[in-house]
Amino acid sequence: MELILAIVGIALIAVIGVCFYIMRQGDADIQFIVDQRTKFRLVDMTETTATFTCKVPFINRGTQDGTIMDAFTRHLLPYEQYDGVKVASRLELESRPRTDGYFEAIIIPYGTGQAVVITVEFTAVRGNIRQALAEMVDMPIDIVYQVVARSDWFITKARIIMTAEEIAEAIAAAQEQARGL
Amino acid sequence: MPAEALQVERLPVPTRVLTPKDDILDAVEHYTKGLVGPDDVVTVAESVVAITQGRIVRPEELKPGLLARVLCRFVPQKGSLSSIYGMQACMNVEGEWRVAFAMFVGMLAKLVGKNGVFYQLAGEQAALIDDVTGTMPPFDKHIVYGPLNPYGVAAAVKQRLGCFGAAVADVNDLKRARIVGITEGIDPEQLAQTLIDNPFGNASEKTPIVILKNYAQAMKQTSMLRDSGKG
Repeated sequence: MELILAIVGIALIAVIGVCFYIMRQGDADIQFIVDQRTKFRLVDMTETTATFTCKVPFINRGTQDGTIMDAFTRHLLPYEQYDGVKVASRLELESRPRTDGYFEAIIIPYGTGQAVVITVEFTAVRGNIRQALAEMVDMPIDIVYQVVARSDWFITKARIIMTAEEIAEAIAAAQEQARGL
Repeated sequence: MPAEALQVERLPVPTRVLTPKDDILDAVEHYTKGLVGPDDVVTVAESVVAITQGRIVRPEELKPGLLARVLCRFVPQKGSLSSIYGMQACMNVEGEWRVAFAMFVGMLAKLVGKNGVFYQLAGEQAALIDDVTGTMPPFDKHIVYGPLNPYGVAAAVKQRLGCFGAAVADVNDLKRARIVGITEGIDPEQLAQTLIDNPFGNASEKTPIVILKNYAQAMKQTSMLRDSGKG
């Protein structure tokens, strides 16, 4: 009887020890720091299209390395709100630029981070893009990302708002820069 | 004393991205056409052989058990088995209790200063599995197992191409090279050393085949030099 109790006791201590070890070890905690994003700037403009980019940093605040398996943007501009432009958006790692919208899975060591570049292209539905964007509304963009580390994979999102004022400012800044040149 | 690398010309062969729809023998034959001579050794990256064999799985398709959740915590972070999915993938092919037993014995062995026991006991796949990010897109989101019957693949490549030899190799940018399957008459240690600086390129390059030109002659010359040195 004493032997059985001793075995059960040892097993219990081992289980508690493993639980404590896992709790202390922690996990990855990858977060997009949306309040530190750069302002959108105009990078290309034609008669009917305008393309803007901004950078959003992210960091692994956890205690373990984590992997971003996938990440993409989800812009939200319902035509009930504004139907003057068509929108396309994508993101890419600043350190691994690519234009196909594919996100190559990447390990983010704990305590480190990088940035993604978000590209948003507007196409005027009618007339020219300047007129179309003059009436543009604020547009939320979700950064949707899938993380896997020491526990189950999960998908989560962070939101930025591309404001109408920011779009107008970016166009004005690009015009000013062009005049200066 | 580690085997010495042979000084031979190494010819990386670019291919399109090979997928489970491809046959590795047909692909190797197609992309090496006119490049392989009778004294050459043809090496193929093990992850690409595995992919063409369909030995891939997405983490989303796995259901990790409690054992995988606990044991992965004892694998260093850089290891492919450090995620619950990598560990579960390994357990699915090698057996849950075999891997658990290997882990237990491996830990005890580490306590007395002996490393690598886990990988000796847990089965071949424990060392060959690549977790997500381990291979190039579009397989960066997959766990890639080690290839099936790599010795058979090497023999079939040799027979198909009529070359001196063939091998399936696991090489990475961390100066680690391992021969997973090889034809007779070639020293796997020496071949591994010859591939140690990863002529296959990193994960984003599409050169899964490397031809080692005139390997047979280099082997003979090295052997003669060694013999004359002894004499």
